[in-house]
Amino acid sequence: MKEELEKNPQSTISSSQVFFIHVCCALALAAGFWVAHHVYSLNLVFDPTKTLCLIWAIEFPVVILLFSCCRQKPEKCSYFTAIARGLLGLPVGALLNALGALALGAPVGLQYLEKTVNWSLLMSSFTFVPTACVCGSSWTDWHRIFACTKPNGPLEFMLCLPAHGAVIGAWFGAWPMPLDWERPWQDWPICVSYGAMAGYVVGMVGSFGLALKMHAGRKQLKAE
Amino acid sequence: MWGWWRFGKWTVLIMFLHIIAILIFTKGFLLTRTELPHSSHCSDLSQSPCHSSPSSSSCWTKPAVDRLIIIVLDALRFDFVAPSSFFEEKQPWMDKLKVLQRMASENPSSAKIFKAIADPPTTSLQRLKGLTTGALPTFIDVGNSFGAPAIVEDNFINQLIQNGKRVVMMGDDTWTQLFPNHFNKSYPYPSFNVKDLNTVDNGCIEHLLPSLYQQDWDVLIAHFLGVDHAGHIHGVDSTPMIEKLEQYNAVLEKVIKELQNQSGPGKLHENSLLLVMGDHGQTLNGDHGGGSPEEVETSIFAMSFKDLPSLPSEFDSSSCEPSKNICISSIPQLDFAVTVSSLLGVPFPFGSIGRVNPELYALAVCTWNLDDDKTWNNQDQTKLEEWLQNYANVLCINSWQVKRYIDVYSASSVIGFSSEDLFRISDLYSKADENWSYTKNLSSYKNGSSNTSLPVLKRQIVAYSNFLSYVAELARSKWTEFNLKMMGTGIGIMLLSLYCHTLAIKKLNKSYGVSLLSSRDSGISFGLMLTFFMVLIRAGSLLSNSYILKEGKAANFLLATTGIMTLRYSFMKNKMLIEAAIFLLLTFIFRIAIEVGLYKQAATSQFMSSSSSWMLGISISQSLWTYMAEIMPILALIVLGYFLYKSISSCCWGIPKYVIMGTILCYFLVALHWISESNILDLAHFLKGFGKNCIPRTVYAITLVQLSLLAIVPMFCKEETSNCRGSLFVKMMSILSACSSTIIILQGKQGALVALGSLLAGYCMMRLQGIEQHTVSGTAGISILDPLPVLQWSLLAVCLLFASGHWCAFDGLRYGAAFVGFDEFILIPQAILLTIDTFGFSNILSVFGLPLFVAFPSSFNQTEHKSLFPIKLFWIFMVYGLITAITAAATILCVTIQRRHLMVWGLFAPKFVFDVVGLILTDLLIFVASIYYFNGLEDRIGNAELRRLW
Repeated sequence: MKEELEKNPQSTISSSQVFFIHVCCALALAAGFWVAHHVYSLNLVFDPTKTLCLIWAIEFPVVILLFSCCRQKPEKCSYFTAIARGLLGLPVGALLNALGALALGAPVGLQYLEKTVNWSLLMSSFTFVPTACVCGSSWTDWHRIFACTKPNGPLEFMLCLPAHGAVIGAWFGAWPMPLDWERPWQDWPICVSYGAMAGYVVGMVGSFGLALKMHAGRKQLKAE
Repeated sequence: MWGWWRFGKWTVLIMFLHIIAILIFTKGFLLTRTELPHSSHCSDLSQSPCHSSPSSSSCWTKPAVDRLIIIVLDALRFDFVAPSSFFEEKQPWMDKLKVLQRMASENPSSAKIFKAIADPPTTSLQRLKGLTTGALPTFIDVGNSFGAPAIVEDNFINQLIQNGKRVVMMGDDTWTQLFPNHFNKSYPYPSFNVKDLNTVDNGCIEHLLPSLYQQDWDVLIAHFLGVDHAGHIHGVDSTPMIEKLEQYNAVLEKVIKELQNQSGPGKLHENSLLLVMGDHGQTLNGDHGGGSPEEVETSIFAMSFKDLPSLPSEFDSSSCEPSKNICISSIPQLDFAVTVSSLLGVPFPFGSIGRVNPELYALAVCTWNLDDDKTWNNQDQTKLEEWLQNYANVLCINSWQVKRYIDVYSASSVIGFSSEDLFRISDLYSKADENWSYTKNLSSYKNGSSNTSLPVLKRQIVAYSNFLSYVAELARSKWTEFNLKMMGTGIGIMLLSLYCHTLAIKKLNKSYGVSLLSSRDSGISFGLMLTFFMVLIRAGSLLSNSYILKEGKAANFLLATTGIMTLRYSFMKNKMLIEAAIFLLLTFIFRIAIEVGLYKQAATSQFMSSSSSWMLGISISQSLWTYMAEIMPILALIVLGYFLYKSISSCCWGIPKYVIMGTILCYFLVALHWISESNILDLAHFLKGFGKNCIPRTVYAITLVQLSLLAIVPMFCKEETSNCRGSLFVKMMSILSACSSTIIILQGKQGALVALGSLLAGYCMMRLQGIEQHTVSGTAGISILDPLPVLQWSLLAVCLLFASGHWCAFDGLRYGAAFVGFDEFILIPQAILLTIDTFGFSNILSVFGLPLFVAFPSSFNQTEHKSLFPIKLFWIFMVYGLITAITAAATILCVTIQRRHLMVWGLFAPKFVFDVVGLILTDLLIFVASIYYFNGLEDRIGNAELRRLW
């Protein structure tokens, strides 16, 4: 699969590849949950720190390995450079996510530090790492994808939509927090993580749908 | 002026509509029963037409019970007590309190189960208040100390104390909050930890049984909380609940056994009455507070330890279960206070509107017959007649007391009863009274040996009962039932005003757009949609008590979200990154301030027990923090003063210059005031001769002078300036600075910091405004009116209210602010100062600061036509007003929807009052501000041009 991906020189990718990558990411997420639940008998509600840590530790290598395959300008930048970019992107993205969460009202304090760190690492592997692998430090690409929200082609949609989905999902996930239901999952960052993951999955579905649509459109264009 | 009137009439119309809507809604919603401070006294009875009791030892009624044991089981559902055969289906939690059922079926004349009907709100605090005062719930306890829930109304605990009875309390510490100095002995246990099922109960059990042998009390109250907590945590159908009930059954069995052992003649509990009762019920989920039958229906089990004759069937309302020989009758909780008072022989609580319940009364009352009339003959007739005679007399006292309360209440209360109702009350009472003088005479000379007196007595009792039940019904409808028609009308008018508001904004948009001939725009930008969404989500959040409690945080969340959106835009344009980042940082700082405020709120609020624990870390290095806390505000003041100085040195002339200089002087005085108050520098003696009230009063005086200068001077002299942006800016600066000094001194030290923060935030917003629209409209020079900055401004205003340590509850008012510069209480100045303190940042400064978005040329569209100024300014005022109005309308709607909510009086109603006052204040301020800013603006633009535009 890796070779097949690398053979494709242009930055656009086929919808089957999009599907493959998204399914792998979703499976990694599910695997993270499964391992946490069955191997370590952990639960996001009762031990958010460790569970989040496990989930991002499984999700993030998958994301890096997959997205590095579809890096831009593969002739100039090797697979390992892309992986290194992804590794560097993880803490940077985590820092940005954490700052955003703090601005929005995440609890400050030492006892929340671990949770916040793990949560923002997970968020970073949803939002920041894929783009870091694909685009590297290309400011124009980042600007186009995230600031202007004008992605070009299925690959950039694949970066843009799940990332936006995760952030928006986390935003909505924060709303149940102040309610007085006294449920354990209302604590920071449990429901926010659920929201982020749900948004991420929705974003992936959306990006796959768009990839299919674009593909069909291109075929039609060719046929004409 | 006509130019102002062209759009100003809309503000007047909208303000008018708001006021009408709010007045009508409030009349239907706020069930204000004012609490009267009067209390009943023994000697009052001489004014009544009733028999006073013959012996000197008793007070209003002859005491029938010497000792009273009240065991309150919190959240006791009716079906916990009543036999399961009363219900369609037997559930696992039924028939657990077997001892009560056994007692009731074994001796039906001395033990009885009642279904007690509570009045909502069914929370423990409100119910205990209702049980002891015999009155209906109140909303605003005017005239008592805010925050402390101690009962000011006359109540039966108070009567017990006044009449020398000794009261012992154990269990739920709510009692000690309500009656801080009343108990001889008390064993309170904390009630706030819902997860703790046992502490309170074990404490109760530990003290209850030993106390039964002691002689040092007359009334014993034991309040168990376990069932309430088990319901909250596990629900009714759960093992812990059943375990709790079984535990109670064992305890009650022991108590009853002890009491029976001690009940012989001459023993300790010869004349005792045991009451086992719930304060309210609960739903199957364990919730309570509302008015559903499950929550309202609770139970009272009463048992006396004497063999008594049963009641004549006319007064027996019980429904019986023939197979089990248990009869259950129903009693409103309203009747509890007065019945118990009559049994103990203390005066009835002044504000009670209950009736002495015949069945509960009969359980205890024949006892003195046996003692007094040694020679009574065994004819049932005589016995019954005597009982009826006595009960009629008690009802006579009861009716007289209720009538007295109604008279005093309607004489002293603003919102009393209508004259028709009062007339009907008087009519019923005088009828009953007329009969009474006849009945009294009859019985006094016939001496009870005739058959004729019996029906007369019964008629008399019925007459009094009619009167009492009419009063109770009327009071309930006036005080606890919402007038839905009026509320609906209010909401309708409010919605109409919103419609007018949008119409006015559309009209403004039109005149703004038409003049530029840019009608190709669809008018729906992303900013508009975002604004709409934010306002909607904020409005929706008011439906839940949790969001109202944490409204500051929710508003800050939304503000930070808009901040992140603007940061994104500034990334998109690669401009103003620093401003956007500073803005986000400021929201973070405000958020910390709001959390500190929440922390303070949690200390006093009865709804919040959780405190964020990271705050505790702050107090580690105490001295450094106090030092910082002293220095920082003064530094902030200096910075503010410096900003003002810079602004006048660059562009200013005439009156505004003097005004701003006055403000700088004020800041200096305020700083001096704080230094003299603090302990860092020992300047107190230095300023002693000066007097601590002098500085605040000087500041108020300077502010008044400044404001009058600003208001009066433009009427007489019109300076000619070509630059209307500049003049608008100067006007804004001068009025803001004039208001700020008073607000800062009222708010105390945080005021300066908040002022500095809002100044910075305003600057950032002003710089960032329009950052989004440029990309949307494309062509340069056309500015779509963008509501996003206005939304940000109004969210910021909400955040400022909370960040400056206020919250939407009556204990959230900072009463200290009313006494800055004054020592003694004078109502009007203090009310004004309190209003300025509460709404200073969030309303006064926000509204006057709105021209910020017009006064500066937006860096994104430089070529804005200057004649569009007034329209844009008006548009901003209108949009700001609309956002406030939508929020207030949402509050009104939510309050209507949640009118039976547990916290309707604790949270929703105060929030409603705050929002409504804030809305009217905002309307008024917008009206004033638009006049202020428009005066002179139109001259500069030239009337001819305006006429063309409009």
